[in-house]
Amino acid sequence: MRESILILILGMGLVTFLPRFLPMAFLTRWVIPERLKMGLGYIPIAILSAIVFPVLFFNEGGNVEIQPHYLLSAIPVFIFSWRVKSLWASVILGMLVYWGLGFFL
Amino acid sequence: MLNTNQFREGAKAALPIVLGYLPVGMAFGVLARQAGLTPLEAGSMSLLVYAGASQFLAIEMISKSISWFPIVIATFFINLRHLLMSSTLSLHFKGHRLRTLSLLSVQLTDESFAVAMSNTSKISNRPSYLFGLQMTSQIAWIAGSVGGALFGKLIDHKDYGIPFALSSLFICLLVIQIKKIHHLWVMIIAGISSIVFKWVLPGNWYILLTGILASGIGIAIEMAERDKK
Repeated sequence: MRESILILILGMGLVTFLPRFLPMAFLTRWVIPERLKMGLGYIPIAILSAIVFPVLFFNEGGNVEIQPHYLLSAIPVFIFSWRVKSLWASVILGMLVYWGLGFFL
Repeated sequence: MLNTNQFREGAKAALPIVLGYLPVGMAFGVLARQAGLTPLEAGSMSLLVYAGASQFLAIEMISKSISWFPIVIATFFINLRHLLMSSTLSLHFKGHRLRTLSLLSVQLTDESFAVAMSNTSKISNRPSYLFGLQMTSQIAWIAGSVGGALFGKLIDHKDYGIPFALSSLFICLLVIQIKKIHHLWVMIIAGISSIVFKWVLPGNWYILLTGILASGIGIAIEMAERDKK
């Protein structure tokens, strides 16, 4: 392996590891205030929303542009997931709908 | 000590992630090869960095002959969002040994975090479960990367609905999180604010900021509800 790539990978590895590790290392040893615990309970919803929604409204260049292919695929997956809480089934359905729409859009 | 039953259970829970990681990892491998990386280098990056968005950005920057330092800085900012996920997971591993915690945190990704949080009773004080979930996910990511770098495009990652696989996973995981009416409000607020933040701010600050803002609003809603009672 080239030295420059090795340095790059080790550097990227280190700066990625620290924010993954430090909160876990410290917060597992501290007493967490009730209010903070309550806030952390909303982190999954907040982060998942921030991952799911912008994809539907931004193009690959990062500019605002409605993505009909994603949007039309997301709606049935949303409704289906609401009824059937199965990760597998949602992933398969999403892929099929997206694939199928590809023939029309 | 590793609890093999929990490990196996976690590994099974990772299978929907595997379905998404294999083709996306493969796409990474193909691009890495095009940017001049060897399969060993691409695989090492997936082993030691293991963070999709920053790996793709690194490849793009390498192909523009940008040196390692700006790439590392960009990686740091992209992956800062893990602070929030690591904090959230910490509630379930009170007082566990640092060695265990470092193993768990080094493999933390958006996908494994979201699957882990879909049923917290499975992960609370069950490090082997989370380890199995995360190990299986990372193996798929490494296998995909090395496979893509070695053999090139086995399948077209833009075909068969593959671009929507992980999005579908995230949608279902988000829906699973909605258990009460105020969860729905937080989702709507987070959805709108993430779009606004992404619109006005560079990079992916929007994830971290949405996390902080929306959980703050969650606290406010919950406190207001408590006062009413």
